[in-house]
Amino acid sequence: MSIDFWINVAVLAGIYGIFALGLQLNAGFTGLLNFGQAGFMAIGAYTVGLLVVNFGWSLWLALIAGIVLAVVAAVAVGISSLRLRADHFAIATIAFGEIVRYVLQNAQFSGGNQGVLGFDQEWRVFTDWLLGKLAIIGLDRYTQLPLFIVVWIVFAVMLIAISALQRTPWGRVLRGIREDEDATAALGKDIFAYKLQSLALSAALAAIAGFFVALNVSYLYPSVFDPTFTFFGYAIIVLGGYASYAGVAIGSLIFWALLEGTRLMDTALSAGQQASLRFVIVGLFLILLSRWRPQGILGNHEEMRVRS
Amino acid sequence: MGVTRWAAVSALALAAAVGAMGAQAQASDLTIGALLESTGPLSELGPTAEKAITIAVKVAGQAAKDAGLSSNVTLAAADSQGDPQAALSAARTLVDKGASCIVGPTTTPEAIAVLNGITMQRKITLWPNATSTRLRTVNDDHTIYRTVPADDLQAKALVVAIEKHIGKGKTVALAYRNEPYGEAMAKSFTQNWEAEGGKVTGNIAFDPQQAAFDSEAGQLVDGNPDAFVVIDYPETYAKFGAALARTGKFDSKKLFVPDAMSFANVPENIPAESIEGAYGVAAGSPQGTGAMNLFNKLWDEAGGVANSSLTANTFDAGILCFLASVQAKSTEPGAIRDKVRSVTQEGAPQFTIENLKDAVAAAASGKPIDYVGVSGAFRFQDNGDPSSSLYDVFQYQGGKRVTIEQVDVK
Amino acid sequence: MSAPNLLFAGLVLVFSVLAVAFGIVPATQATLNGFAAGAYLGLGALGLTVVLGVLKLVNFAQGDLLVAGVYFTILFGWLGLPLPLAMLVAMLATGVLALITEKLVWKPLRRAGASHIQLFLSAIGLALVLRFSIQFVAGSQVRTLGANIVSSVTLGPLRFGTLQAAALATGLLAMVLVGLGLRFTNIGKEMRAFADNRALAEVSGIDTARIIDYTWFASGFLAALAGILYATSIGSFNPNFGVTLLLSLFAATMLGGIGNAYGALIGGLVIGLSQEWSTLLFNARWKPAVGFVLLILILLLMPQGIFGKALRRS
Repeated sequence: MSIDFWINVAVLAGIYGIFALGLQLNAGFTGLLNFGQAGFMAIGAYTVGLLVVNFGWSLWLALIAGIVLAVVAAVAVGISSLRLRADHFAIATIAFGEIVRYVLQNAQFSGGNQGVLGFDQEWRVFTDWLLGKLAIIGLDRYTQLPLFIVVWIVFAVMLIAISALQRTPWGRVLRGIREDEDATAALGKDIFAYKLQSLALSAALAAIAGFFVALNVSYLYPSVFDPTFTFFGYAIIVLGGYASYAGVAIGSLIFWALLEGTRLMDTALSAGQQASLRFVIVGLFLILLSRWRPQGILGNHEEMRVRS
Repeated sequence: MGVTRWAAVSALALAAAVGAMGAQAQASDLTIGALLESTGPLSELGPTAEKAITIAVKVAGQAAKDAGLSSNVTLAAADSQGDPQAALSAARTLVDKGASCIVGPTTTPEAIAVLNGITMQRKITLWPNATSTRLRTVNDDHTIYRTVPADDLQAKALVVAIEKHIGKGKTVALAYRNEPYGEAMAKSFTQNWEAEGGKVTGNIAFDPQQAAFDSEAGQLVDGNPDAFVVIDYPETYAKFGAALARTGKFDSKKLFVPDAMSFANVPENIPAESIEGAYGVAAGSPQGTGAMNLFNKLWDEAGGVANSSLTANTFDAGILCFLASVQAKSTEPGAIRDKVRSVTQEGAPQFTIENLKDAVAAAASGKPIDYVGVSGAFRFQDNGDPSSSLYDVFQYQGGKRVTIEQVDVK
Repeated sequence: MSAPNLLFAGLVLVFSVLAVAFGIVPATQATLNGFAAGAYLGLGALGLTVVLGVLKLVNFAQGDLLVAGVYFTILFGWLGLPLPLAMLVAMLATGVLALITEKLVWKPLRRAGASHIQLFLSAIGLALVLRFSIQFVAGSQVRTLGANIVSSVTLGPLRFGTLQAAALATGLLAMVLVGLGLRFTNIGKEMRAFADNRALAEVSGIDTARIIDYTWFASGFLAALAGILYATSIGSFNPNFGVTLLLSLFAATMLGGIGNAYGALIGGLVIGLSQEWSTLLFNARWKPAVGFVLLILILLLMPQGIFGKALRRS
């Protein structure tokens, strides 16, 4: 077993941790079942890729544009769908995510099935610079280390920032919406505006995660933004603890350690059977998790009520 | 809380312990890695590719033993899930397990993610089954080799075949699976056919997983075109092909298919009405079909899944990696990379799997050899693509593939 | 105008426009294709809508119950049963399988007062376990049930696959039977009472455990029926086919109105029709996206679905 393998797991855990922070804000703290997170991620990532490749933008400027566009998409989705019932909102957002994916696969501007390639020059320059510094302490042979460092710094900053935000009056109103929407409205709060802000912030986090996915894979392709990843995001927040931001980090690490670690099983089975077994294990884990520890590792049972 | 902590810690410990079990092969043993589509949207293709590479590893191990080499050949497989991100993780697993080369993955996006993410910097040769010309333009430090012909050469062979059997400048109705392979191949064919003065209609992209294909099939046969080109895999063509037959206007003798639809016997799920009499192209072998017959025999003896398309290409990739390793006297990825060309050298003594033992002995002596694969001879260009211009044109007659001629495309 | 009438008028209008724009034959052929595609979806949605309506559970594992039905058929066929009998036994077996998931997964969760998210995550987990257990045993290579998938019925210039016609007929029959069953049998009435108000049903002496068991069995049985018809007439499949149909099944359920048997099938047909009609207007590559656009539109414009009634907030 190698350190490289586990650096990769940590990178994925960091990326999908940022992704799941948004879901935690929506589902865990606002009671909003957003299942279109993979769609917002795709919008962020593709905006970056296309602006750099087709319009010669700087990678970092394109990142900002990606975040802005994901937020705009979230506002559009929110304005049209936030008035729906919670479960209908969930299905509408899944449909939104799938439409985004089909558009990226079939449209001309997005490179279609051939995807987008060659947007990461600036990132590679940065990586080489950082690896040069890491060489001083002899760590330059772990080539994924720069991505790991950047992802986890961003993740940590986001985690701290969003936790702080949660303690502001704004955060408390969100909680109030989750607990009792009508009572919060009776206090004169504009429920719709708060929900919209929650969704927009979540989409921004998804776009940042999408940016890192793009850097990790070095190739943008629609299937990377499959709705499965949104489901994974929910698994992460339940695992780490519902309505706990710190739980997202732990949940993401455990989830990806399980998902990727099961690749390393060495059995006498055929490759096909082993691959199947891997997902049977993951599936069983999800079932047992929701049965035995529904509130997750850092979660509180009292926080679990989501109105429908 | 206690129970959960325990559960969490044991989950991590389990993952770590499972991890520790990897990578135990002997230093001198060659580990051939394989990225297989075991799950995900292309999982239909997983079992046949797995069987092909398993046979290759067995055949290689036997030849090494027969030739008196002490080292063994083992297989490490991982699931690429039809997704670039998962393919990259899977490739890292293979590297962890000591793979000296990696056969697969199936699609261009997966191949590029794996190349950029890990194999190029480690000089690990990657043998994708993807046919996109895009793989040729990426910077790969000479690590990508393909035993499948790229789209442009195949498209030319298809054009020649259609001109021979239908005529020049005719109207061809085109349908393809809406994913990287289908789209790139369709584009390449359209360019080549139109350059020869032909007309392309239809241009129908279908999702191979959708619930019904009748509308697409109806559009394809509409206007009574002179020929049909359908770009699909045999695993999913059963669905589209049946819909074509149901239109009542489809003539399978006017159908032309690329090599992803080349199989020795028509699979049981494909109705005869949608394939009988169809023509196709596949890379040809100057050595005739002895190697192919032996491969088919090995396949049947191994039991399990029936043979399908591109299995011989996967098999050959495994054998080439093995021969290059023998010649390099090393399992170091970079050394293998540097020897691929000298085991497929034009003019050197030719070997096939029928006399693989001799090939091993010759390669071990350090002299260049020319391994002629089950899927044809390999003339790798500078970019790792086969430049072989020899193509078989075959026809399905009575449910079997019959080679009717060889064409040379330049 | 009521929602079903409005919908019917809308469909007729779209068809007329298409017939004028593209000719009567292509429009009618696309309509027939739409009925064929929609039949699978509607039939598959039938089992989903029963569980969603009665138990308020979004069963993400439903697609894999379709797969289980098909692979049970292969198993029983391999054990020597003639195909029609193997299919019937497979449907019963899938019903039992659904019942087992109730006992092992859903009942304990319900007892623990599980939240939406917990139920959702369990459903995803269960879907993975079912699908990959099947793949573990049967492999991911394509299989076939060996029916004649190329035969078709000709009506002048129009063509309709024989098996597709059979699937549509079975779908209509199943819909009517489930609809009548819910309306006129005792268990059906109890199911509806339970769906409307669980507490009230319990107070009025209905054996709720029995209702739940019947619901699961019916859901599994119907899923297997849908899976078998789909697999037979599409001709070629692997264990992935359920998950690729799943979101369309949800769309059909939402469209028809949750818990309504007629709605499920009509919802499926509406999706099938719009997808196949769309091929007249755009390249067929956009076909899969059409269902999702339609779903969003319906949710926004007609949130109760075609046949749904305004649900009380629980």
